[in-house]
Amino acid sequence: MVSVCLYFHVHQPHRLRNYHVLDIGEDNDYFDTEENKRILQRVTEKCYLPMNNLLLDLIENHPDRFNVSFSISGTAIEQMEAHAPKALQSFQDLAATGNVEFVNETYHHSLAYLNSKDEFDKQVQKHREALNEYFNYEPTTFRNTELIFNNELAEYVENKGYTALLGEGADHLLGWRDPNHIYSTPITDDIDIFLRNYELSDDIAFRFSNESWEHHPLGADTFAEWIDAINGAGEIVNLFMDYETFGEHQWASTGIFDFFEAMVNDVLDNRDNDFLTIEQASDRYPQRGEVDAHHYTSWADARRDLGAWQGNELQRQAHDELYKLEEFVKESDDNDLIEAWRRLTTSDHVYYMYTDGRSDGDVHDHFSPYDSPYKSYMFYMNALNDVARRLGTTSQQRPLSETPSTLLNDIPEEEERMHS
Amino acid sequence: MNILMLGWEFPPFFAGGAGMVCKELTRALNDLGVNVTFVMPKGPKDVYQRVNEQTPDSFEIRIADSHRKTTFVPIQSLLGAYDSQQKYSERYDEVEGADNAEDTLYGGNLEEEMYRFANVVTSMFHDEDFDVIHAHDWVTHPAAKQLKEVTGKPLITHVHITEHDKSGGLGVDPFIESIEKEGVDASDRVITVSHRLKERLIESYDQPANKIDVVHNAPLPMDKGEGAKTFFHDLDQKIVLFAGRVTLQKGPEFFVDAAAEALQHDESLLFVVAGDGDMLGDVMEKAAEHGISKHFLFTGFYTREEANALFSMADVFVMPSVSEPFGIVPYEAQTMGTPTIVSKQSGISEVLNHTFLVDFWDTRRMAEYMLSLAHYETMNDVMATNGQQEVEERTWHGPADECKTIYEELKSQW
Repeated sequence: MVSVCLYFHVHQPHRLRNYHVLDIGEDNDYFDTEENKRILQRVTEKCYLPMNNLLLDLIENHPDRFNVSFSISGTAIEQMEAHAPKALQSFQDLAATGNVEFVNETYHHSLAYLNSKDEFDKQVQKHREALNEYFNYEPTTFRNTELIFNNELAEYVENKGYTALLGEGADHLLGWRDPNHIYSTPITDDIDIFLRNYELSDDIAFRFSNESWEHHPLGADTFAEWIDAINGAGEIVNLFMDYETFGEHQWASTGIFDFFEAMVNDVLDNRDNDFLTIEQASDRYPQRGEVDAHHYTSWADARRDLGAWQGNELQRQAHDELYKLEEFVKESDDNDLIEAWRRLTTSDHVYYMYTDGRSDGDVHDHFSPYDSPYKSYMFYMNALNDVARRLGTTSQQRPLSETPSTLLNDIPEEEERMHS
Repeated sequence: MNILMLGWEFPPFFAGGAGMVCKELTRALNDLGVNVTFVMPKGPKDVYQRVNEQTPDSFEIRIADSHRKTTFVPIQSLLGAYDSQQKYSERYDEVEGADNAEDTLYGGNLEEEMYRFANVVTSMFHDEDFDVIHAHDWVTHPAAKQLKEVTGKPLITHVHITEHDKSGGLGVDPFIESIEKEGVDASDRVITVSHRLKERLIESYDQPANKIDVVHNAPLPMDKGEGAKTFFHDLDQKIVLFAGRVTLQKGPEFFVDAAAEALQHDESLLFVVAGDGDMLGDVMEKAAEHGISKHFLFTGFYTREEANALFSMADVFVMPSVSEPFGIVPYEAQTMGTPTIVSKQSGISEVLNHTFLVDFWDTRRMAEYMLSLAHYETMNDVMATNGQQEVEERTWHGPADECKTIYEELKSQW
């Protein structure tokens, strides 16, 4: 018996507009609402609606054997509500089938765990409430932004009551072992670690339309055979990917939708196979081994580390400055300001600042709204300078500092901040 | 592979930008196993002040390194680098006036001299063994064209700039324009130093796009040296630098307008205009009109060594050129670790990744990039490091390889 765990990630950031130096103090709308709306509506038409309909059909045809898991960031949910209500309704229809799990994460798709546990907890709670409100769902599975995790994070979320956690099936974690089992960590008790099968996931997400790939064009029957072949050697196949794979990264014209439908039917032709949510698989299968995640891993780029978001000095510096403003922002009791600051915690902003010109850089460019990582840094830092100005404690009307927090009066002692 | 290359300058005879490019290109071609015979016009010694002491007098010499495969052939002629009809006449009068024994050798005007040069080249090389003729810019075009007609060998014209770029669209010399047009018309393939220049040839000279290959220049070697780091070494201000000829084409007045906008946000910036040119007075006046003269320094003409010092002291280098077929100076600034802001109306903007690109007229954006690079020091550092690296990674091996591919294609078709 093999159970396929499909997990789809849905996310839309609030992308920054070209927020110029001379806008500081003049305009505190940092986000490009029109562009964000345009992108969301395009993805809704090309991906969310057709793929949700396909999943609804498959659930209807195989109500007992076809289940899927989703994570939908809070920033995606709220933008759908505002600009693409049909998309939100469509996800709610999926929720109503009972065959869909919603995985909990940070509402703002942030890297808060790395910088502020307090902010991390708040964003996770806010996302949990959103899953309750929009999908009537009580989550038990957790995923951190970009599948970033290590042993301590697993322990942290286990202590919060989660029973399953998603991670990347990175080679350096698994060594000779495969990702087709549930794992534990050395410092956790019961939480089930589900590791992405990156080979099979990326066959669909990245290689499907690559004409120079040896298996192109990939047949549904071929892929189903690869899954069947895991019978006897593994229990689960974790196919984790961005939901935009369907229709946006791989256009409809590549045949991705037909492939997916045929693949599900082919896999289910073997009566031993089924598709389970993470939660269902966690209930059914035992832990078979332990992975020791000393260092953070993620599902991004070739190195599977934090390099995509914290790899260069621009990214680290911008992120540090953001969190140095945290306490001041929260003390302001200015809800607009707090929400603007939270939107700046979204990991996409630092992702756009990636400067490596190698092959991964191409992937970053593909997803970046800016033509240069320096511009994305500049607009971001300009926004942080304006946040500092709005806090009203800087003496400069139009600050322009790479350390805007130092412009604020009454800077608390380092120790005090550490304890807060 | 044997190439007959026609150019109009080559160090040490005249060390202008195009001459440096020819030298680096032929050296890199030699490394790829391509033999080059480089032919250029060379006047009597006393005509050019800048001719080096070591100028050889013989008609044919080997370049010093014996393993090099370049044969260098200077031909007595009054044709000069960056020539015009007027400059030629002045030079001709000068030679006549000096009562040079060879004065009857030269053509009475630029056109006559170009065709005389073409006849000499053709008579010298019509039965030489070479595969492709490769000619740089218009002065040698009639010679290249005639040699092609006589020998039937394929011709590549390598365009670095056109008359249209030099004149900024005003006062195009119809004679030079027609020489350029005939030159590219007669060519089997054309190389331009940028896509921008390729578009120019398509539009102004009616060339088919598939005849033109873009081969971007690589950086010229720089002696980083220690530089004379003596100017303003105690200064606590951030320095924004313009360096180049102060002429309409280089856009210095946009630099001043951008400075005025940037100063509204930060009065501590210092703007340095390095270089001389016919617009220097206008630029000074413009700064005065804005009331920002005290934030400006004008250095006038600068030496290579001073340029290095300027680049390494500056926090930001700006090239606001109105029109620049290539524009090699940002390579030099980045080599010295200075982040750059580069006009989108330049050929070099097509190859730089670690820079800010800006329309020359968009002084507000230009000001913003100046301010950001002055204040966001982390960004300045990261851009400086990456910018230096990207220039170091570009060598003449790339352009030479692209030329060699074109040679091979032409040779196989002949």
